[in-house]
Parts: sequence; C-alpha cells; structure tokens
Amino acid sequence: MNRFRTVVGLGILCLVFPSMGFSGFLDDLLAPPPKKQSSPQSPAQPQEQPGLLDGLGEAFGVKKKNIDLLKKGTGVVQALEPIGVEEEITLGEAVAVEAFSRFGGEYPNQAWTRYINLVGKTVAELSDRPTLNYHFAILNSEEQNAFAAPGGYIFITVGLLKTLKNEAELAGVLAHEIAHVTKQHMLDTIRRGAILGSVSELTLTAMKQDPAMFSSVIDEMTDLLFTKGLDKDKEFEADVVGVEYAYRAGYNPQGLRDYLQVLAKEEGHVESKFFTTHPSTSVRISKIDTLLMDYSDIKNLPFLTERFHQYVKAG
Amino acid sequence: MPDRIARVIFGIVFLTVATWMLPSSNWAATLYAKQNDVKVNAEKSPTSAVIATLALGDPVTVLAEEGRLAKVKTATGKTGWVFKFRLTEDKPSMGGGELGLSGLTGRKTIAARESRAGGSIRGLKESTEQYANTKNIKQEHRDAVDRMEAFSIPPNELMQFKKAGNLGEFSGGVQ
Repeated sequence: MNRFRTVVGLGILCLVFPSMGFSGFLDDLLAPPPKKQSSPQSPAQPQEQPGLLDGLGEAFGVKKKNIDLLKKGTGVVQALEPIGVEEEITLGEAVAVEAFSRFGGEYPNQAWTRYINLVGKTVAELSDRPTLNYHFAILNSEEQNAFAAPGGYIFITVGLLKTLKNEAELAGVLAHEIAHVTKQHMLDTIRRGAILGSVSELTLTAMKQDPAMFSSVIDEMTDLLFTKGLDKDKEFEADVVGVEYAYRAGYNPQGLRDYLQVLAKEEGHVESKFFTTHPSTSVRISKIDTLLMDYSDIKNLPFLTERFHQYVKAG
Repeated sequence: MPDRIARVIFGIVFLTVATWMLPSSNWAATLYAKQNDVKVNAEKSPTSAVIATLALGDPVTVLAEEGRLAKVKTATGKTGWVFKFRLTEDKPSMGGGELGLSGLTGRKTIAARESRAGGSIRGLKESTEQYANTKNIKQEHRDAVDRMEAFSIPPNELMQFKKAGNLGEFSGGVQ
C-alpha cells in the first residue's frame, strides 16, 4: 500500500512538472557554447555597467546598498518615461542638421550616396529594428569618421569612404553605426543625463513648447557624438552587434576589423576626432578577432572588392 | 488490483520524466516575423514560388534549420522555407522591449509612422527649424537633411543589388 501511495504521489508530481516548464531540464548541460550565427535571436546583452551614480556615490562615501536603491528609483522613472519613436526621430533630425553643418555639408555625389544607401539598407533590414526607416548620407569632410544619430540618421565622411577597400568594410562600418541606433545608445545616455539634470520629459509637446530645453538636449547629444564620444562599453557593444548584422546580411563580418586595422596605423599620427570619441583601435581589433572565432561559416562570405571599386573608386 | 494501477501510474511517471529531461530543441519552436512582407518560398531558393507572405508578428513553427534558412509551417498550414534572420524568437508585441510599444497593432502603427519619410521632400520638423534658426545653420544643410530623408530605394532595385552580391536571402550559397 505504501508503494501505491508513493507511485500516486509521483503521478501528481507529473501533473505539476509540465506547468513548471515542460522540457529542457538538461538543456544547460547539453547545450554547446553559444554560436551567434546559428540563431535568429538578438546578440547577447551586455552586463550592466557602472554608471555615474556608482562613481559619485563612492566618491562621497555612500554605501553600495543605498546607491543601488537610488539607481532602482531612477530606473523606475526611466521606465515610466520612455523616449518614443517620434521623439527619437525628432531628436535625430536636429542632430543630422548639426552633422552637415559641422562636417562640410553634403558630399555631392548621387551615385555614391545611392551606393551607401543600398549597402546600409541591406544591413539595416536584417537588424533588430528592421521597421525603422534608415537614412544614409556622405559628409564632405576628409577626416575619417562615421556617426549615427537617433532615429536612423547615419553618416560617413568621404575621407573614410575613400579609405575603404571593399564593400564588406563599408558594410562593417555602417553596421556598427546601425547597432548604435538599434541599441539606442545615444538615447540611453541622454535619458540618464536628462533625469539627473532635471529635464523630466522628452515628449513631442515638450520639445515644441520649450525650444531652450530642446536645444540643450541637442547640444548635449552633439557634444557626445562629435567631441566626448559614447561610453566605451557602448562602442564595444556596437562592434559586437555590428559584426552580427553584417554577418546576417551575408557580408564577410571581418570587414569592420579590416578597416580598423588600417585605421590603427594612423592612431597617434593623424589628428582625428575618431580617436578621441572611440576606444583604443587595437583593443577593438583584439575583441573582434576573439568574436570572429565564434563564426564558423564565414570563409566563403564575400568582401565584394570589385563591386566596391566599380561604384566608389571609379566615381 | 492496486498493483496494476501502480504499474500504469509508474509508466506514466516514467514517460513524463523522460519527456521532461529531453532538450527543448527536440520540440518544434515557434518564431515570429520581425517585419512585414516576409516571404515563405516553396523551395530553398529565394527565387522559387512564394507560397505565403508573413506580416510583422505572424507566428511560424520551425520544422528544421538548414544554414541560413528555416523550414517552417505557417499558421494556415503551409510549409516552406524562410530566410531565418527575418524571424525572431521574441514575439513583436506591445512593449516589444526596445521601443516601449504596447502591442502588435500598435507596433504596426509605429512601423507605418517610422516609414513615413520615404517619399518626397516635405520639409523639416518645426522643432528642427527652430533649432536651426537659433544656431544660424545654413539653409543648404537643412536641405541636405530633407534630401536625406526623402531619398528612397525601390524594393526591386534593392533586391537586384542583393542578388548580384549574394547578400541577404541570396547569401551563404543559397540561390
């Protein structure tokens, strides 16, 4: 009878198990190391980085527990007031005007503009925000640089474009910028700054009714984009995500790394805002090299050198 | 009699535990279209007959994966091949995470709004004009943004570009 009771007990457990997650008990044990290319899901999220509150808190001797509480509170405010897509595009459009103004205006070559849009859209449509309408433009500056403003406004200088050797490198650079947009790196940075700086909302109404506030937010964004640069971890994340996007689009994902290799030779010799707004190029190359080892099926993916020369070098 | 019942229950227990311990990959996964107009082809080739077109958020059951393709069954029971990077494991739902949206219907609305800049030149936003006036930004730079927003690539041209370069759904040796 005892055995009967035991078996009945196990039977009841069987009814409970399915509701607790039916299968996959051994998934963790059986799963191979993650291969980013094998799954359509998004690239891994980075771990939470120490922020301004951590630094200030420690400087003033505030206990970690209290800092965490404050961060939690800030997080709640952020969660309640997300920056919507329309707001994001509105901010991005103003930053785009500044980009043309500061970097020599629009580079007047329709064929090249068409080409970077074809490459950019090929990558963007396989990103994690494929429904956003991305815009790509060439800036008339010989300085090597590329930017992404919120809302999908992406720029590459003609100086950088002329330095590239093939389409995979161009795709790699654009994919890095697209990653900044999909991960909302600029918005994330601004949102933290705006909350700490008492700008409580970034709605379309607030932006229209308070031009001074709007202008100060754009100033902060352009300062980040063109002078200070984003947090290093955001740049590294854009490398990781950008490599994945280029891979999904069918380009050899080594393109970004190859361009950085060329750029690394100029680091320390050539004056460019690129070096002050991005982490060490050699560290980025090293991290991408490690990342590429996880991509096992890239050997036959194209660099499209000939097509790049047809479009750009001939133009 | 209790012994017989016990044997039956033991059998159920054994099968349930065995099933529970199977890797989840042994179960057909449901993925979702992460954009509109996702083509389901009859064959692996992207130029083969289109048997279904998925809209943003439409679910499919993945029957198999082969390279960059997934063999799927649609909600209407049609079986075909999809370029797997047009699918996502996370249902594009309200909230969808990154944009703070609140549902599939809402998402479609946003998607339409996000695409609104693909047509002709229509002038910059009031806030941008105000900002540009304050900063004395030249008209040529404002016009450059306007042209940037108005520039569009016809879908067929983009498709030919990808096909010629073995990119997108034409990548990875799939023809």
